[in-house]
Amino acid sequence: MNTSQPSASGQPQELPVPLHIDRSWIEQLNSRLEKGGPWGDWRLAQLAIQGEEARLVTSFDELQCLKHLQGLSPLPHQLDTAHRVLFEMSGRAILADEVGLGKTIEAGMILKEYMIRGLVSKVLILVPASLVLQWVRELNSKFGIPAVAQKKAYTWHSDVVVASIDTAKRDPHKDFLLEQEYDMLIIDEAHKLKNKKTTNYQFIQKLRKKYCLLLTATPVQNDMSELFNLITLLKPGQLGRQGDFATNFVVGKRQPKNQDQLKDELAKVMIRNRRGEGPVHFTKRHVSNVNLQLSPEEQALYDGVTAFVKDQYKASGGNLSSMLSLVTLQREVCSSRDAVFLTLVNLSKKIPDESPLTAKVWELVNAIRAIKANTKAEKTIELIKQMNEKVIVFTEYRATQEYLLQYFQKHGLICVPYRGGMNRGKKDWMMDLFRGRAQVMIATEAGGEGINLQFCHHMINFDLPWNPMRVEQRIGRVHRLGQQKDVQIYNLSTSGTIEEHILHLLHEKINMFEMVIGGLDVILEHFEKQESLEKSLYKMFLESDSNEEIRQKVSNLGQTLDQIKRQVEVDYESTSMREEEA
Amino acid sequence: MSMSQQQVQEHMMTYLESTECRIIEKSPWHVTVKLSPQADKQLTNRPYYWGFVERTGVEPETLSFTFVFDPEQYDKKEQLNASQQPQQDSILSRYFGTAPMVPQIGPGRIQREDVVYGSSRLQQIWNAARQEGSCLYLFEQPAALQRETLFSAAYEPWLGICYKVEMACDVKKEELHFVGISLVTGRIVSPFPERLRGLALSPRLPENIHIQPASISLPQAASLLEGYMTRLLAEMDYGWAEQARERLNEELAVIDIYYEDLLKEPDEEKLAAIREQYSNRRSETTWQYEPKVHLSVITCGLFHLRSIR
Repeated sequence: MNTSQPSASGQPQELPVPLHIDRSWIEQLNSRLEKGGPWGDWRLAQLAIQGEEARLVTSFDELQCLKHLQGLSPLPHQLDTAHRVLFEMSGRAILADEVGLGKTIEAGMILKEYMIRGLVSKVLILVPASLVLQWVRELNSKFGIPAVAQKKAYTWHSDVVVASIDTAKRDPHKDFLLEQEYDMLIIDEAHKLKNKKTTNYQFIQKLRKKYCLLLTATPVQNDMSELFNLITLLKPGQLGRQGDFATNFVVGKRQPKNQDQLKDELAKVMIRNRRGEGPVHFTKRHVSNVNLQLSPEEQALYDGVTAFVKDQYKASGGNLSSMLSLVTLQREVCSSRDAVFLTLVNLSKKIPDESPLTAKVWELVNAIRAIKANTKAEKTIELIKQMNEKVIVFTEYRATQEYLLQYFQKHGLICVPYRGGMNRGKKDWMMDLFRGRAQVMIATEAGGEGINLQFCHHMINFDLPWNPMRVEQRIGRVHRLGQQKDVQIYNLSTSGTIEEHILHLLHEKINMFEMVIGGLDVILEHFEKQESLEKSLYKMFLESDSNEEIRQKVSNLGQTLDQIKRQVEVDYESTSMREEEA
Repeated sequence: MSMSQQQVQEHMMTYLESTECRIIEKSPWHVTVKLSPQADKQLTNRPYYWGFVERTGVEPETLSFTFVFDPEQYDKKEQLNASQQPQQDSILSRYFGTAPMVPQIGPGRIQREDVVYGSSRLQQIWNAARQEGSCLYLFEQPAALQRETLFSAAYEPWLGICYKVEMACDVKKEELHFVGISLVTGRIVSPFPERLRGLALSPRLPENIHIQPASISLPQAASLLEGYMTRLLAEMDYGWAEQARERLNEELAVIDIYYEDLLKEPDEEKLAAIREQYSNRRSETTWQYEPKVHLSVITCGLFHLRSIR
């Protein structure tokens, strides 16, 4: 025990750093002395001290957060990343891991660590609108961080707010946010901030922030200057002045020079873990296409609908936007008669009674009546009984989902539905049921809402979305980090229908079912500069007169995509080569 | 520092016992407890309910919890119990069929919660404890003999403070210092808990004692302790702060170079915007790296201890 007499001078010595002393306790103690209480409990005071001791950050450079995170076992590259960002990059970094390596986990760990250390309390997280809830949920459940989704103006006052960047930059939010000081700013999908002139970029530049994490899987998409802009947002000057950067590091638009030097500079602000490095292992995807022959009745309905849709398109003078509900009809007819029926009924309500269309619609409804069995559903049951394991069945349509639920239950399968309209509680419940007793989950929704079904490795595409990203999202539900087994994917298609062409395009041409995760978005982004793939397909389909013509056009489209894919692969390899050389 | 399940359980039990919660069931792996009103107010975040109780004067219904410290062991035990359950009901089920177990909801429902190091519940009880124990007024309880002696015992008042020191730049380190000062002699003792070791402390004023008059006022004592802490802090190694300043200067130099050319912008309006950006970026960087020390108080109080002659 040290004892000391107060020094005679009583002069406080100078510290080499500013010292801030919180003296509010004196007032508290005095006021209680005056009032004669209330006085605290000694056991609780000791508990408080022990609690502080238990949480004490005793070292400047050692990760504390792991001890606080139960049930999270980060992968080595994630740990390494968190460590580097905290202790080498001082909390300003671009996390540029390839898709699927867990950037969110890394960002969560870094945030948690700063919060434990008491260096961060006010946090703003800007993400695309579709990811807001997912972020909130992950931060809450995996990291115990009380994040709040921005909904009303007052939510901005919460300590940890997740919002979409498009909301944040608008009035009246913008002015409020620019007045704040954020201990930490996290931006997901940061490659959208590649252009200095956009309002998003300028807004982020103006926000006051201490630590800052930018998350992107594709730090360079078209142009080296994008990278420069991104880094300027984080640490202006890290790559020198704009002019210096151009002369020192850039040859062509996408061609860097002085790679060693550039790599050294980049390593100070950016961490890029690559797939295939380290122990991150993805299982394989096995794809089987199940080709079915429609029954004569089903074929009749299909032909009827096709003719109907084409007639309408011609009548409308090739106006695509007014055709959307009819195109839907065309897609639905590949799924189930129930789906078509519902759309037809809605359609007949909209058209006036005396219109000649009414007769045609009822003709189709009668064609539906003639159908007694669903070829695809029968095949699905057969498949499920064969595999005798958990399986998720995806369909695009509510009506098909309902039909399948009934049909499967009738055949003694325990199945649960899952759709976007369910609230969170119900979704979680359905997932739990699927994890437990149910053998089959029938889902209409795959994206955004983060359903993770690593315990299941069979999936059946009852029908196919025309947007490849949605197909990828479906697969991503089961084929992700943590999946132990190879994933079996079954695609149902019926010969002689549009579906056959779509499957042909996705499978044979883009080979998307077996592609490494993450390549697809880049390809699509390049392709969809002119027009979305889905729309191109609609047009192609509506404007072709024969099956042969469609085949030809789809084949051309496939070639275009293939070219883009090759280009992307070349770029990818050359950058990784460069990185390896360096 | 991390904590074992044992320690977590001890902390939890200390809190529950000192807030007078009713322990319903206890095993080495769990505790089932009905909270006291005090604990309920602190832990369950139901201000509206408590507002309602206070306004209407109804008998409050506090929540019950099962806090599980070792989920694995606890689950094993529960499973064992569950597997034995249905056999007992075999006669009932013969006549009525096995009814599915309905999860209990509403009042009387006992929520299960796993409590481990890092659980927010544990943080919450620490914070609640800190609030409840922030100001103390305590007496050393004498041995039974004292009551019977003729002479009253002399008690010396002490001011005891547990300081938290936070050394922060872009990274951070913390220390705790529990120090005490005698209001009679001005003697400073650190660590103070060593002086308190083995003593029974309670807010109750013991019989047959007298308190020595203080020669040092509370504000004086406070500034003496502060002076002591400042000297202690001044003697620390400030290598970390020097390194942080180096990092800061490097960062500022990079920023200066970047903006040097930009600040030659002829257009007045653009220049103003660039200037603002430049100064923002500089102040952000300083905010991030600038080393500083923060001294705050976890708990403080007056301790009346028997004088040692």
